[in-house]
Amino acid sequence: MFLSLSQLRPGKLARIVQINSINAMVERRLCDFGVMEGTIIQLKRTLPFGGPLAIVTKGQSIGIRRAVASKILVECI
Amino acid sequence: MQIALAGNPNTGKTSLFNILTGSYEYVGNWSGVTVEKKVGVLKKKDGTLTDLPGIYTLIPLTADEEVATHCLLHDDYSLILNIVDASQLERNLYLTLQLLEFGKPILMGLNMLDVAKSYGLAVNINKLSRLLNIPIIPIIARTGHGCADLTRQFKQVQSQEASPFHLDYGWVLEQTITKLSRRLPEQLTPPKRWLCLQFLEGNKLVGKLLEKYIPAKELQELLTETEEKIKQYEKAKSIAQHIRLKRMQYIDQLASTCLSKEKEVTITFSDRLDAVVTHKFWGIPIFLAFMFLMFKFTFDWFGTPLSDVLDAFFSGPLTDGLTFLFDRVGASDFIKAVILNGIVSGVGGVLVFVPQIFMLFFLISFIEDSGYMARVALVMDRIMEKMGLNGKTFIPMIIGFGCNVPGVMAARTIEQPKERLLTILLTPLMSCSARLSVYSLFVGTFFVKNQALIVLSLYVLGIVVAMILAKVFSSTLFKQEGDSIFVIELPPYRIPQWKTLSRSTWEKGKGFVRKAGTFIFGGSVAIWLLSYAGPTGINVDMDKSFLALIGGWIAPLFAPIGFGTWQASAALLTGFLAKEVVVSTMNIIYAAPDADSLKSLISGYFSPLAAYSFMVFILLYVPCLATVAVIYKETASRKWTWFSVIYALVIAYMISLIIYQGGRWLGF
Repeated sequence: MFLSLSQLRPGKLARIVQINSINAMVERRLCDFGVMEGTIIQLKRTLPFGGPLAIVTKGQSIGIRRAVASKILVECI
Repeated sequence: MQIALAGNPNTGKTSLFNILTGSYEYVGNWSGVTVEKKVGVLKKKDGTLTDLPGIYTLIPLTADEEVATHCLLHDDYSLILNIVDASQLERNLYLTLQLLEFGKPILMGLNMLDVAKSYGLAVNINKLSRLLNIPIIPIIARTGHGCADLTRQFKQVQSQEASPFHLDYGWVLEQTITKLSRRLPEQLTPPKRWLCLQFLEGNKLVGKLLEKYIPAKELQELLTETEEKIKQYEKAKSIAQHIRLKRMQYIDQLASTCLSKEKEVTITFSDRLDAVVTHKFWGIPIFLAFMFLMFKFTFDWFGTPLSDVLDAFFSGPLTDGLTFLFDRVGASDFIKAVILNGIVSGVGGVLVFVPQIFMLFFLISFIEDSGYMARVALVMDRIMEKMGLNGKTFIPMIIGFGCNVPGVMAARTIEQPKERLLTILLTPLMSCSARLSVYSLFVGTFFVKNQALIVLSLYVLGIVVAMILAKVFSSTLFKQEGDSIFVIELPPYRIPQWKTLSRSTWEKGKGFVRKAGTFIFGGSVAIWLLSYAGPTGINVDMDKSFLALIGGWIAPLFAPIGFGTWQASAALLTGFLAKEVVVSTMNIIYAAPDADSLKSLISGYFSPLAAYSFMVFILLYVPCLATVAVIYKETASRKWTWFSVIYALVIAYMISLIIYQGGRWLGF
């Protein structure tokens, strides 16, 4: 079952299935961090009032905005 | 021997640079501390080392990355020293591959093995070295461990003929590369294959280089044709993605043979700390509490008591001693007056604030070195987004609390050009350490009981004004230009070392002391002369001096905001040079022998409300000379530089007016 990264429960591992039209610069930067289709990630926590999310992948913590996370489709593993 | 340092952001390049060259460049624990190229001479004097901003790939996205890529492409050097973070091996190797394809001799310094170990990771260095065919030296850049082994390798490695690393990118790309290569001249550095690959991947700098040999139109056609084929035969989204996947496949292979997971570590020290400082609801209150503690330390607990001791020394033993000395050697009254009333008052008046400023710098260095910086950016992003900026713009602003000049430069790491420009324009509103000396003087006079609180209110005012203006500017001036974006790496926390902390505190504070010895020294003499001479001759009554004349001319302008005296106007005028000069000028004008008597004198000229209005005006009115210069350098635009000066003046006047008139109406 696919869901968006922003809907993932904190602490759960998931694999990225699809990254839909997000800002090209953000996509490039995420690629630099190794976040792309097929990458296994974990949602660490979300900040309140629609704030950003902290995700973990390959041992690195990254902060991204919720709007971006909602365009990243993942499947739980 | 010329060596270039290259590697991912926040891998310890500058730490290593400092050790190998004996320099004291700026270090910190977040991505994008170094935004400029720095050249240093190796300790053995047998070559130079160039420190570069961190990059993830050779295709730049931000201004600081462009500095690094440009240097690697065009500068002359014989060896690349590639610093790799062992705890992020795969990501770091991605850059290493591109550097290997580039064909220059490479030496790898493998840093942060201790962090990797804490994640339960172990790297088989010998195997990795054999597979990549380059020497790899394990180092700990923070302590200098392994650096001697590294230097021993320099000579040997640079003399070896490096054969460019070759990775097969599949028949479609290989066909295009062959086709392109044939059109390029034989003797070309960097290697033709590398040029072709970078061009296909979308490197604009390389694209320009190729246009020298092949018409732009033809290049574009080839690109479109290859992209079609890639989509058809390799099932990739784009050429760039295909290239990335091929490289990552290779890196995965490397990792599977050279990297082993010794034990499963699920919760690290950083995780536990993050659970608190980036907590859903406590994140922002914790940040504010931290700021408040900072001011408590700087003023109430540490800075002010020490500063009083220093003041007692300047006004007591130092002045007495100098007077005694002058009497003994029979110095003229003029010399005595220049030194005692001009230099000791002017320079000493500023130097007494050294303890406060060093304390502040110490605490800022702590934030920079611990890794908290990136968390602040994360916590503040939602608010900043509402204002048309992003959380990352908070980093230049915090640096700006120390000094606006490096703050403005730190804006280079912001991806979106519009957000970068806005940050450059707004960082000068952050209350820098120079302004602190003015506050110290005034809160010590008018708000003795609530020093830390009043100063905190000024810092917060600076931030609030910056945010409101960000909103106003981004919805008017920059309405059309792109969405706001935010991606940030949250590095693992580190416990700051005393050595690093004291060194960065000193490096920041040194500037303040040096300024006192040069700028403020010269300024004090000039101001004193202006107050000593007048249209009617020298040694005039100060109210008839040139300074009074100039100040008096613009003073009426400031009457509505509470300080229409020539003294205040003269201090504001000179404050453009550097904000501390305001204090020097006041010391000289009010001819106060020490801070205590200056305070009682000032209280005759200002009401507490006018004093607050004056501090607000000092906070906002114009960036200092050095900041204006760096704004011009970073924006390369006269228009924006003027804009930064003029909007600040207008805003400062408006807010001071509201505070003063509003305060009076309320009966203060």
